[in-house]
Parts: sequence; structure tokens; C-alpha cells
Amino acid sequence: MEPGARGSGELGSPREAKTPAATVIRIAVVAPPGPTHDLTVQALRQLGSEVALEIHHATAPMFARLDAADLDLVVLDDELGESWLELLDARGAEGPPVLVVTSRQDEPQAVEAFRRGASDCVARGPEFERRLAVASLEQIRRHRAQREQGDARRQIAWLEHLHQSVVEEIPAAVAVTDPEGRVVTVNAAFVRLLGVAPGSSEGRPLAELLPVALPERGELVEARIRRTQGDTSAVALSSAPLTDAEGSPRGCVAILQDLTDWKQLERQVTQSEKMASIGQLAAGVAHEINNPMGFIHANLFQLGEYLEELTRVWERIGPLRKAVAAGEFDSARALGEELDKLVRETDADYLIDDASKAVRESLEGSERIRHIVQDLRAFAHQGSDDRVEADLNQCLDSTAHIVWTMTKHSVVLTKDYCELPPVLCFPMQLKQVFMNLLVNAYQAIEERPDCERGQIRLRTRLVGDDVEIEVEDNGVGMSPEQAGRIFEPFFTTKDVGDGTGLGLSTSYNIVKRHQGTLEVTSEPGVSTCFRVRLPAARRESGRPG
Amino acid sequence: MSAPVVLCVDDEPRILSALRRSLRREGYELLFADSPAAALEVFADRRVDVLLTDHKMRGATGIDLIREVAARFPATSRILITGWTGELDAAELARLEVRAVITKPWDDGDLKSHIRGCLPAGGLGG
Repeated sequence: MEPGARGSGELGSPREAKTPAATVIRIAVVAPPGPTHDLTVQALRQLGSEVALEIHHATAPMFARLDAADLDLVVLDDELGESWLELLDARGAEGPPVLVVTSRQDEPQAVEAFRRGASDCVARGPEFERRLAVASLEQIRRHRAQREQGDARRQIAWLEHLHQSVVEEIPAAVAVTDPEGRVVTVNAAFVRLLGVAPGSSEGRPLAELLPVALPERGELVEARIRRTQGDTSAVALSSAPLTDAEGSPRGCVAILQDLTDWKQLERQVTQSEKMASIGQLAAGVAHEINNPMGFIHANLFQLGEYLEELTRVWERIGPLRKAVAAGEFDSARALGEELDKLVRETDADYLIDDASKAVRESLEGSERIRHIVQDLRAFAHQGSDDRVEADLNQCLDSTAHIVWTMTKHSVVLTKDYCELPPVLCFPMQLKQVFMNLLVNAYQAIEERPDCERGQIRLRTRLVGDDVEIEVEDNGVGMSPEQAGRIFEPFFTTKDVGDGTGLGLSTSYNIVKRHQGTLEVTSEPGVSTCFRVRLPAARRESGRPG
Repeated sequence: MSAPVVLCVDDEPRILSALRRSLRREGYELLFADSPAAALEVFADRRVDVLLTDHKMRGATGIDLIREVAARFPATSRILITGWTGELDAAELARLEVRAVITKPWDDGDLKSHIRGCLPAGGLGG
């Protein structure tokens, strides 16, 4: 039976070594009725109370039972005519042993029996019963031992197959090396992930295929590998030493998980979270746009009315010029007086003066809207896929500017920046962290009953080789329980709809990915301070700039 | 009879400037304040017929100002004009008898008719 074809049963041995039936000795006796038959049956019954005999007086029904797994022995009488030989011939390799009982004392009969596949031959005569019993027990013991061996072999084959299937089918790239670090075997996922030709990895040093340091046992590190096609893949890498049963080192197993799809998903989540953080400012954004829109709109409307009035004045100028040109001075004087009256009535001087003021103010307003839209666009931008060196003071400041604008300048923003070395980072991601912290600070202030005294303090400094950024607010603060859970996904202290509960957990992950730390300290009703620490970019020697 | 007095409150001077243009020909005496605190100072020595105030301002909100005015100067009609799109407490607005909530950007016709609606009919020749 093919082990892989086993049904949905438990993952165990394909055949139990001891079936309940195995305690009972099952023997088929094939013999014509008569005194020898009786003697045979009698002898076999002595083997014990747990002997189950099935008696056949002819060979015919026995053909179907020759390979029966439940039979321990077939005792075949040669007084059945030629058919006993046919039965022996028909016997398969796996079936129960056949013991031939013969009344002929001559050697050739026994030789013939053995030649035809009998396992033993017992001649009738003195002590027939005892000899038959001893020979039967011996055959049964041998047969059972063979069967158990077969079971063990199948068990080993099944385990081998199982191990191979698991290694092959597991959706992770697996490579096994010898103690010298040479590849012993790899699975299909490894071939696919590294883009190597099947069968080309074996025997090569793993370090050649995978030029990254293997992590300690139990550690999972993120690494970037270069595929033979030239492109790179983000992978999660783990490894474990292999030892034999005595504990001697036999090499190691490296496991790589392709993170490409996962990274893509993560980028999407990060991006949606970023948009959500803007969403939390949506009311502020709308307000900051609606205000200038308000006066621009009103000014344009008024400018339209001014233009109508001034057009009325202009329309009087035409006839006046004509009268002057024609030398009709009386008429011109009258028209001039009318014009004067209209200029006073419409307050034309004021209109002209105020119109330019309205245009100037409206231009300022539209410039403000343009800035807001630009800021938002810059913030919503996904950013590059590669780390770049960035000035975190600038990242923090531009983000703070957006939040400050959107929140109607209703908090006092204190900036305490130190000069910082560049940080190798994904600037857009860090801006998102700052945005989350700032929105959080602002919302904490809004929850205060006396929120008009809100303050947000931004501080940056260099601590050893780390850049430290603090965002501190004097908002409602958090209990130690809340502070302890604040970075958990979906944990939120805000009302439903005010927060996704993902902002700080996303921030935490972003900072962690930058090999940094994000901590919070808070005192309920007094203040909350979020502290980001990031390693400054190391200046590698010999590298320009 | 003296002209009705309309007090416009907004912390954005360009809004006040635009309101002055919009209401220029309405025959009101227009007063301006750039904060709720400054508005209350106006109330100290002037009669105000209509208060037209922004909501989100530095320091205090328009609702805060309206609450104060409703308590101390109930004769003054109260209108909120705001670019705020967040939730406003409708029950609170009703309790404070806010005559209208005008959204920014506003329509000049609407603005004028809301203010006119606050004043006694025929009380003004213009």
C-alpha cells in the first residue's frame, strides 16, 4: 500500500504492529477427512487455547486464502492427490507459510515440497503430534517475525516519504547543509526563491548561494537576498543546527520565507493607515480650506458687483468724450456733472481701492489653499522603496506644520530642535509616525475640558549614536493600563470613528523596522510623551559624502 | 431710527473684510471683532442687534460666545457662520436659539436674508 494514499486517518504507522487478532493463532488445515486429519487437528489444538482452526477437506477453497494476512499457517496434507502441489505453486511470497504433512518417509517427497515452496515438511510416524506442534510453532514464530520486519520497513519508508513531502511541500525555502556548510539538499521552494537551476545547489557552499549570515537558533531575521536573475527579494531567515541521535553536529538547516507578498500587503496597510491619519484631520483640513474659500468666494461675488457699478460709470464716459470731441461744451458740462454725481453715488473711488484689496486678499487665500493641498499631497505620497539619508528635524517640522495648520493653530507648538546627523530611513514612513504622534497629541488635548491651554512640545536631540525625537502634550494622559496596551493593534482610547486603533501599532512597527524604539510615558490629566529613538546613519570609512 | 448694528466676529481678518464687502449696501452699522473676548468688549458699550460669529477660533469657540451673549444680552439675534464640518450639537444650538448656521463658503444672498430675518420687518428704510 502506498503510504501517501492513506486516508484521513491519524498520521501514524501505516499498520499497527500488534492487531488484536495477532494474539490468536489462526491456522488453516487442508486435509481429507480421516485418522491423519484428526491427528493433525489434535496436534494443533495443543498449541494453546487461542488457536483458531479453519478446516478444509479440499484444496479448492484454499486458493483464495493463500495470501490471507490473518492466517499464521497453512497445514497441507499430501493425501489430497496432485492438487496439494498446485496449491503450493499458487502460493505468493507474502502469504502465510505452508507446512506439508506427508505419510511418505522418502526424501524426494520432502524435497519436492520444499522445492514447491513449502516452509517445512513433517512426516507422519512416531511422535507425529509433538513434531508437528514444534514445527508449526517455529513457522508461526518466523512468519510473525517477518511480518513485523515488513511492518517496520514500511514504517521507515512512510516516515521517509512523510519527511520528504513535508520538506518539499512546505511553503518555505529549505536548505540542509553538512557540517562544512555545503548544501546537502534543498526543496523546490528554495530553487524557486533563489532562481537556481534544480539540482545545481547540492554540493556548493550555502554561503555562496545565500551570502547572508545565518541567525542563531530561534531567531528570525529579515534579510534581502539577490536572486540569480539579478533582482532581490525580502526574506525572513531562520536556521537550526542539525545533530544526530548522539548529539554530534551534522550540519544545519536554513529556512527562508519569501516576504515579497507580505511586504506588498504591509505597504498597503501602511499607506491606508496614513490616509486614515489624514482622515482624522479631515474636519480640520476642510475648515482650513473653507475659510479662505469663504472669503475668496464672497470677494469674487462682490468684485462682480463692483464691476457692474464701475461699468455704469464707464458707460457715462463715452458720451462725455464724444461731446468734448464735438466741441459741445454745454452738453459736456452737463454730462460731466452727471458723471460726478454717479461717481459719488457709486462710491467709485472706494470701489477701485477696495477691489484691488479684495483681489490681493483673495490671492493670499488661494495661495493658502494651494499650500494645504501641496502639504497633503506630499504627505500622501508613498515615498521610495529604498532607504535614504534624511534630516529628521525637517521631517518632523514639515509634518508638524501640516497638523498645526489643520488644527486651526489652536495649540501652542514649542520646538526644541538640536542639530542631528542624517538618519538612514524611509522618510515618508517616519513622517507618518510623527503624524500619528502629533494627531494623537492633538486629540489628547482636545479631550481636556480646558483644551484652549493645549501645548505640544517637540524635542530632538542626539543621545550617543541615536537620534531621539519627543512629542509631548499636556492632554488628558493615560492610565498605566492604557499606556501598556497603546501599541497593540486595534487598541484605542478614542470613540468609535475617531481612530482606527492601528495608528500607534503601525508607528511602533515602522520604528522597529528602522531598528529603533518607540516608548510612551504618561501621567493621567497631566501629560503624555512619546519618545522615538533611531540609530543615526553610520558614516562608512572611505565612502564619499 | 438708527441703523441696526451687526457685529461680525472671526479670527480671520480676511473673512471680516469679505463680510464688510458683502454687507456694505445693507444699511447696517457694521462692527468687527477678531475674537470672542474682543466681541464681548464691544457688547460692553454698544447695543448689538445681530451677532454673526465664526465657530472655531483661537481661545474660545463661537458657541461659547453665543452662550455668553444669550445669557447676558438675550435681545441680540445670534447667527453662526462656520467652515467647520465636524459635528455641531444641534440640541445646544436650538437651546441657545441660534437663528441660523451659515456654512463657509457662504452665499451672499443667503447671508443677507438670514440677517434681515433677524430684524423687525420694516424697521429699516433700506
